Amino acid sequence: MKKFTAIALSLLLVLFASPLFGSGSKEAAPAASDGTVTITWWAFPTFGQDPGKPAGSYEAELVKAFEAANPTIKVKLETIDFTSGPQKLTAAIEGGTAPDVLFDAPGRIIEYGRNGKLVKLDDLFTASYKSDVGNADLLAACSDGASYWMYPISASPFYMGINKEMWEKAGALQYVNLEGDRTWTTDDFIKAMEALGKAGNIGISVYCGGQGGDQGTRALVSNLYGATIANKENTRYTMNSTEGAKALQLLKDLADKEYIDAGLSIAAAEELQLFAQQQISATICWGTSNAKNYATNAFTQVSVPFPSNDGVPSLEYLVNGFCVFDNKDAARAEAAKKFITFISDDAVWGPKNVVQTGAFPVRSSFGDLYPGNPEYNLLASWTKYYGGYYNTMPGFAAMRTEWWNMLQYVFTGEKTVAKALADYDKNANAVFAK
Amino acid sequence: MESKTNKYGVSHAIQRQIDRTSYLFLLPMLIFFLGFVIIPMGMGIFTSFFDYTMSSFRFIGLKNYLDLFSDPKFLRSFWNTFVIVVVSVPSVTIFSLWVASLIYDKNAWVTSTFRGVFYLPVVTGTVPVVVVWKWIFDKYAGILNYVLVSLGVIEKNIAWLGNKDTAIWCILVILFTTSIGQPIVLYISSLANIDNSMLEAAEVDGASNLRTFWQIKWPSILPTTLYVVVITTINSFQCFALIQLLTSGGPVYSTSTIMYYLYDNAFSLYRYGYANAMGVLLAIVIGLFSILQFKSIKSNVEY
Repeated sequence: MKKFTAIALSLLLVLFASPLFGSGSKEAAPAASDGTVTITWWAFPTFGQDPGKPAGSYEAELVKAFEAANPTIKVKLETIDFTSGPQKLTAAIEGGTAPDVLFDAPGRIIEYGRNGKLVKLDDLFTASYKSDVGNADLLAACSDGASYWMYPISASPFYMGINKEMWEKAGALQYVNLEGDRTWTTDDFIKAMEALGKAGNIGISVYCGGQGGDQGTRALVSNLYGATIANKENTRYTMNSTEGAKALQLLKDLADKEYIDAGLSIAAAEELQLFAQQQISATICWGTSNAKNYATNAFTQVSVPFPSNDGVPSLEYLVNGFCVFDNKDAARAEAAKKFITFISDDAVWGPKNVVQTGAFPVRSSFGDLYPGNPEYNLLASWTKYYGGYYNTMPGFAAMRTEWWNMLQYVFTGEKTVAKALADYDKNANAVFAK
Repeated sequence: MESKTNKYGVSHAIQRQIDRTSYLFLLPMLIFFLGFVIIPMGMGIFTSFFDYTMSSFRFIGLKNYLDLFSDPKFLRSFWNTFVIVVVSVPSVTIFSLWVASLIYDKNAWVTSTFRGVFYLPVVTGTVPVVVVWKWIFDKYAGILNYVLVSLGVIEKNIAWLGNKDTAIWCILVILFTTSIGQPIVLYISSLANIDNSMLEAAEVDGASNLRTFWQIKWPSILPTTLYVVVITTINSFQCFALIQLLTSGGPVYSTSTIMYYLYDNAFSLYRYGYANAMGVLLAIVIGLFSILQFKSIKSNVEY
């Protein structure tokens, strides 16, 4: 009996241990005998859906079109969300069950590439492709400096949205520039916040209750007095500066006067809801996608760049793109590359897909995809204000955690601005000390 | 000569067949248990001795464990977890027992109604419960601020979840409401099972309510109390979803718990080895607490 039990247990252990520990733990390459290759695509909800259609509907149409054009490749689609998706991805990568294709942004993708989880896409970045993109910052956002890991499709800036009627009523609209590029200054921003606050409104919420949408708070803080998040070489996080301290002190003072709100318990999603509900008069997490999601007839939403001391903003921007996971199968990797180039470059589906992301094409050859739309023409013109792209730096994930916690220390008064910045500087840059 | 049958008169050959069949019936559960509990647990312990990140897997001995004790964020999370356990376990246990004592001998519909009401948050699920509480505590449109301002208790709205002094208490209140359902049901059942003749005898002898409780009821419900205390302790130590959905551990780590900090390290910072070391330490602490509770309560249990 003991022998039987021992054999049964050993078999079970082998059965279970092999997929968990084995290097060949990935799903068996689904290359069928007829030469068909099956790849898996995990997609965050970056593509908008047509009205009334459930999540993943547009992606399914896209897959159908690709499969029709490439009958030897089958694509299994899985939609993931921004809340649980990152956790699923981490578990899948470590468990050896990563998808073949992921539609995401550089922050995570470059981290995966740097850690050897992805297939290099250098061969897709030909001289003619680079020249078509024609933007060194955008190209740099797809690389860790050594290899290209992300194939971009579209990009759009992050900016502010204001409630026109609320600002008008409070006498604050005079401080914002509604002409030309709509650039404005920090002095005007302060006056506007004061006017709004004195009228009983809340200017903005510097949300810092979590990581979601934290690029908005970084854009605000860095623009106010010309501080930078990172140096030009992307080798150090640099917010601990006179300009950074001045900006944080300004926001702390405005919050103490209750002209603005220190959003200690909210992240971007809640801040956007507060804006949509007219609880706050402006959002610092506006973008083409959010403008679409929070569109309302209740008030006029006006897009403005972040205020800056010299009136020349440095905008953060979103780059949407694809990566291919290294599942140790050349056929699947090739099929995946074919799929991502179809999505991004196909003459019919490429431009259509860009529009579906609600952003602007990275390829200049796609031209103006939003003809007759003055708002989108304005936003497209803000490309010239794009700042350096630091989301691909080592330690980016750790810096983000340090960032919103640093804001909490400042706004609660638990630490002085100088101390909070010094601690942030030490912890965020720890990765470079190793 | 060796007997060919066991003490029940069943031959050894048949007994072996019975044993084999029994093990085969156990096999599915065993497979599940091994695959989803034992092996992951073993891997968790094993990798806690490694510098295990997305790009590294290097043996570092006890370094992860030693680093934990010099990590102020972990120590803060440990303290918060301790506060949650110390406040929530006695309050949940005492309140559940009190409610159960009040209603266990009432009409069936009264007992059922109360049981249903208190059990509702348990069956509702964490996410909808948290969404409702988030609205209650909301700084701008929350009903709590509305009521307190209307009554003149506070002058202006408070960011309950954004204040480092109040956030942890908000978590405790929610944890309390979601934790009392099961203990109340268990206590009602346990109290209803007490031999009525003993209670009647005590009444005839003129025993006070307090004496009846301590001398008759309390010894009878001690096994239930032990279960309630141990389960509530484990749940409190593992408090995670509330924190993640409500405060992300903030403000300034005032609501960060070991479980939340573990999650943050594993899934935001990709420090798997360090996170596993936290998990192992948490398991040890829970184990020690449980042993302590078993020893202190079980010695008085009468079966």
